[in-house]
Amino acid sequence: MMRTSRSGCAHPLDDLCAEVDRLWTNLIAAPPLHGWGNQPRAGFPAVNVRETDDALLVEAELPGLASGDVDVSVAGDELVLKGERAAGPKGSTGEGAAPDVVWHRRERGHGGFQRRIPLPVPVAAELVEARLVDGVLSIRCPKAPECQPRKVPVSAG
Amino acid sequence: MVTMGSTAGTTPVSAAVDAGAALTYQPHVDVRVEQGDVVVVADMPGARTDAIDVSFADGVLSLHARVAARDLPGTALRQEYGIGDFRRSFRLGDGFDATGITATYSLGVLTVRVPKLAAVRPRKVPVQAS
Repeated sequence: MMRTSRSGCAHPLDDLCAEVDRLWTNLIAAPPLHGWGNQPRAGFPAVNVRETDDALLVEAELPGLASGDVDVSVAGDELVLKGERAAGPKGSTGEGAAPDVVWHRRERGHGGFQRRIPLPVPVAAELVEARLVDGVLSIRCPKAPECQPRKVPVSAG
Repeated sequence: MVTMGSTAGTTPVSAAVDAGAALTYQPHVDVRVEQGDVVVVADMPGARTDAIDVSFADGVLSLHARVAARDLPGTALRQEYGIGDFRRSFRLGDGFDATGITATYSLGVLTVRVPKLAAVRPRKVPVQAS
């Protein structure tokens, strides 16, 4: 509904204002890695999830993070990824760098993130394994024993 | 003068089809100039040190990381990002020392330093009292 000014006429800037709001919302919902900001955000990092007979395999790209910078946990029926990319030399986003530095591109974000990934089946939380190699986080969540496939022998009648 | 125009200007930020069948992605980068040296830092997760090409020709710095497909078993439940090579190039112009370029790859991040030619570095001339 179009808002009207006190005189009863639609203000021409109202449309523009709504359009800017819409564009801004699209910007905030930008693709992965762009979302790396100062505020922990849902939706980052992007993940790929695969299911095998006995496990769920979760993968995420976290360049610039060492294994100690990421916290992986299972909370109820969710897998929680938490971490932070430093703004210092590790992330090379250059805060505290020499004063005669001129920036031409700053696309790599830094800051904290938290992502909760719903797990479609119960997993054995104590058996979850996570590895971070060359910026790729790989998590293997074995399914709970009651969800593992069980082969039923067929007897001849 | 350093013009930092990316030569991949028409490529979408996230994905573009390479000549081959595999997808090629444009990595996110930080580019800074430190005392005349150009430092490029690129997020290239999943590459290996021996699968990264850094080249400098005709004033253009090119970065290419080959990322092997990760053939995971099972069926996909969620596919939020694609996996493929990273490629990006930057037009730096003249006045750089191609032989002095250094590149390091750590934690999925490539850092390349392109030093300025000594001849074009500003030289401070001390003024002597007569």
